[in-house]
Amino acid sequence: MTIKVLGPGCMNCKTLERRTLEVLSEINLKAEVQKVEDLDSIVGYGIMRTPGLVIDEKVVWQGGVPTKERIKELIGSVAQKGVAS
Amino acid sequence: MKEWQKFLILAGIFLIFYFAPIDAAVVTSSISAGLVLLQEYARLHVLTCLVPAFFIAGTIAVYVKKDAVMKLLGPTTKKYIAYPVGSVSGGILAVCSCTILPLFTGIYKRGAGIGPAVAFLFTGPAINVTAILLTSSVLGWDFAVGRLIAAMVISIIAGLLMAFVFREHDRKTTENGFATGLESDVPYSNLTVTFFFILQLAVLVIFGLSIDPSLKAILIILLVLATAGIVIFKFRKEHTMEWFRETWNLTKKIMPYLFAGVFIAGMIETLVPEDVVTGLVGQNTFLSNAIASTFGAFMYFATLTEVPIIQKLMGLGMGRGPALTLFLTGNALSLPSMIVLFKVMGKRQASVYILTIMSLSVIAGWLFGEVI
Repeated sequence: MTIKVLGPGCMNCKTLERRTLEVLSEINLKAEVQKVEDLDSIVGYGIMRTPGLVIDEKVVWQGGVPTKERIKELIGSVAQKGVAS
Repeated sequence: MKEWQKFLILAGIFLIFYFAPIDAAVVTSSISAGLVLLQEYARLHVLTCLVPAFFIAGTIAVYVKKDAVMKLLGPTTKKYIAYPVGSVSGGILAVCSCTILPLFTGIYKRGAGIGPAVAFLFTGPAINVTAILLTSSVLGWDFAVGRLIAAMVISIIAGLLMAFVFREHDRKTTENGFATGLESDVPYSNLTVTFFFILQLAVLVIFGLSIDPSLKAILIILLVLATAGIVIFKFRKEHTMEWFRETWNLTKKIMPYLFAGVFIAGMIETLVPEDVVTGLVGQNTFLSNAIASTFGAFMYFATLTEVPIIQKLMGLGMGRGPALTLFLTGNALSLPSMIVLFKVMGKRQASVYILTIMSLSVIAGWLFGEVI
């Protein structure tokens, strides 16, 4: 699983990155976390309101910092689909 | 930063303190003027204006639904809707300045096109709720409203102009819009959020009223209790925590720069000779507005610091017209932001944008100085 945190480097983007890493270590899931800071790539995902969260190239969140519970759900839903297919 | 750069900075500071005439009258008087202005802000503006304003900005960041606004800036929106929305949406969408560029790029390349994107880019920093509230607290409502309306009108004219000049470059296809419908919006009705917002705004307005102090205290306690009531009984705890986090982040980001700016503004008052200010920007002429416009375009003002600086420049005799001009370009342009603009928009578009903004600001400032 590849998780991308999209944002040009403001406080909220850093908070989202930190929370994502915390969630991953809590649920013991191995995933690659990338930070995308380039504006054109961010906009390329259709994300305007940063920070955004992209899991396996699919936009799952934008425009705010989700709670850790919510991040768990987002990762969980993608992980389940991955198993099903 | 490289090691030798650190060394040079340290050596520079050492040399300043070694040779500076610390007890010369001009040094001591300007430092004490800086301290006096800091105390004025601490006593008059922090509790009654800035603290509520930061909470209001936090409310906008967390509770106000933004997907609906974003849709109005999409590729299929009618132009006569996209322009006005672009010019006011900065106040809702861009609470923090670092969100402005992604939004601008997005509206430009995937949304309503260059015109509305430019309108958004120009008003984004100026229409910021804390900036408007602090302006009205320090300089009065006429300045806050003048600044707001001038920014909106200029942004629409500049947007239309840019769209006309670069009509061939604007994207014409309407495929791939924005990613919307993701659940980042909070699940409360618009009515609740609006009420919550108005309660906080009312706290700030009542602080500014000159009414009987005990009546004022009672009203403010009631409003704060009502706000707390909504937070406790209506909102989920996770959202409240986000609200506090956003408010605190904003405070951390803005306050240190603001206090530094206030101190510098206080020093300006004694360091800059009065006749220089009155000579250059004292009258409401075309030339003095042009000087203010150019100065504002190159000078970098950290968020909110334009307010104490302009306050003190006006104390030294700056006219009302040039002051408004300085507000307009000072917020929207700076040397660092110009460099970014050249990278994002390209040379030609960025030059046209910068020149348009500078000349429109001169006209707006001149009108404000003449009429109001």
